[in-house]
Amino acid sequence: MAEPLVLGIETSCDETGVALVRGNELLVDAVASSMEEHARYGGIIPEVASRAHLEAMIPTIQKALGDADVDLSEIDAVAVTAGPGLVGPLTIGASAAKALSIGLNKPLYGVNHVIGHACVDQLVDGPLPERAMALVVSGGHSSLLMVDDIATDVTELGSTLDDAAGEAFDKVGRLLGLPYPGGPHVDRLAREGDPTAIRFPRGLTAAKDQAKHAYDFSFSGLKTAVARWVEARTDAGQAIPVHDVAASFAEAVADVLTAKTIAACHKHGVDTLVIGGGFSANSQLREMAAKRCAEAGIDLRIPPIRYCTDNGAMIAALGSAVVRAGVAPSSLDIPVDSSMPLTTITV
Amino acid sequence: MAVLALDTSAAVAVSLVDEDGARLASRTSDERRRHAESLAPLIEEVLAEAGVEPSGLTAVVAGTGPAPFTGLRVGLVTARTLALTIGVPVLGVPSLDALAVQAVSDLGLRSGAEILATSDARRKEVYWARYRVISHEGPHGVPVVERLAGPDVDRAGFVAQAQLAAPDTEDGQLPVVVGEGAMLYPEFLPVADDAPLVPDATVLARLALVRREADEEQPAEPLYLRRPDVHEPGRVPTGATTGSGATTGAAGGVA
Ligand SMILES: Nc1ncnc2c1ncn2[C@@H]1O[C@H](COP(=O)(O)OP(=O)(O)O)[C@@H](O)[C@H]1O
Ligand SMILES: [Mg+2]
Repeated sequence: MAEPLVLGIETSCDETGVALVRGNELLVDAVASSMEEHARYGGIIPEVASRAHLEAMIPTIQKALGDADVDLSEIDAVAVTAGPGLVGPLTIGASAAKALSIGLNKPLYGVNHVIGHACVDQLVDGPLPERAMALVVSGGHSSLLMVDDIATDVTELGSTLDDAAGEAFDKVGRLLGLPYPGGPHVDRLAREGDPTAIRFPRGLTAAKDQAKHAYDFSFSGLKTAVARWVEARTDAGQAIPVHDVAASFAEAVADVLTAKTIAACHKHGVDTLVIGGGFSANSQLREMAAKRCAEAGIDLRIPPIRYCTDNGAMIAALGSAVVRAGVAPSSLDIPVDSSMPLTTITV
Repeated sequence: MAVLALDTSAAVAVSLVDEDGARLASRTSDERRRHAESLAPLIEEVLAEAGVEPSGLTAVVAGTGPAPFTGLRVGLVTARTLALTIGVPVLGVPSLDALAVQAVSDLGLRSGAEILATSDARRKEVYWARYRVISHEGPHGVPVVERLAGPDVDRAGFVAQAQLAAPDTEDGQLPVVVGEGAMLYPEFLPVADDAPLVPDATVLARLALVRREADEEQPAEPLYLRRPDVHEPGRVPTGATTGSGATTGAAGGVA
């Protein structure tokens, strides 16, 4: 028997994503983004995003179906991001998914966005091994997850206590006068700078942090250190070596992320690491993760970037995994949860 | 064959009517902040109670507000998606129209009488629109009203001044005030005894049927009447976001 065909809907932030997945095969991934509207304001405006989701929802569903040449009646299950994310945007996707579930008389699965970022790798690299580590890094999240079963058993080893990695890059980007979102621009500058030029702090790496925060991250102190450094230079009337600042900052972020992740792999006897989320595009992180994983004998899996930014594919992939695992469907009265715990895979 | 109507402009109201507008089943929920949780189960309940399959619907009707944004969108995206799923049109009816029409029947208003329909816009304001009764009874038993002003959003005191200062209607009376928006500001907007307070989804469905027969356009577009709160980077937001959860700071994107 063919594996079930799952339609996934993602609306946790500014992207309206709709995708179709059968088993671990991605049939189509349609996405509409309101990013250009937000760029004017230097950040995501929830109400602007919500209005855009309402307008984009039907066209995006139709585009996905049309491109895959699939009829709605062929769909076996509907998966949707139930959290974490912005309440207004999440509400649009959840409501649409419930309407599909009623109209098609097919089960609904409310799933976790962050776990979706890890699960999407299965569409690219095949099933995850019995135990894998997942580092999910984006504009909103920096979390280290131990995945024993992507559909039923995920443990949160650590998360950022303040800024997410992408958020820290965006803030440093603003500090250096770069356009929003600053992350990719800082990355570009960093490639031409000296990562050892300035020794910026590595958050939560002191011996005293090992007991409680061995796998947690903190990037706000780093961002402040960069701000102070730039300010001191400016006050002294000196030019800012932006390439070196960017490179040294990026080095600090990549160092902490990879060091803690690899330590967790050793501690838990894990030999497969998945990196997901939009920040996995970052070249400094990619480079350092590749090098350190090779040294540690860890199989590193980073899906191509289009799978890493927010999209429907990750939600359809997780939906597909939970359907195959026989997880019970969600009821029609499920709420959205802006701060859904990372151990909650389905609601 | 049946028509499903839903309104999320105030609380949640769902109704299923036949092609003549007779009610088959209806449900309401008084949830003001959990529209997304309440609506879908109520839709399932009315379909089940009437024994109607989704494929038995010929249209899905949604109240288009004006209303607080997040709740309003729940109704619209649900109606649009359900209509897409079963391949039927989605029809939009302004929620205040349904309130005005219902006021005519509930209060026995005669032609020439006027109605000030209101709903809660939060932030110390009301959504409002002013109507004149054309006929007590029209097709499908639905009273006929004509919109004279609005919909708009203003402070209650301002609405009272502009709309209730003098008896300037055809029948020499003040407009009859209805709707729960006015209930919040009795000092400015005295609500008539027995006035309807929230839109009734059955009335919404009947209005859509009448307008469909008259070949009127019925866009299922939200009547927001307000722009989103936006602020320049680094500046404090100008106000709380209505019904849409928290406004994040300038760089506060959440994945
Ligand atoms: N090459 C890069 N280097 C650094 N940061 C990046 C890079 N590409 C994207 N980012 C950052 O990643 C975040 C976007 O990731 P995404 O998963 O789309 O985030 P969100 O959590 O905002 O949905 C932004 O903060 C962006 O600046
Ligand atoms: Mg994300």
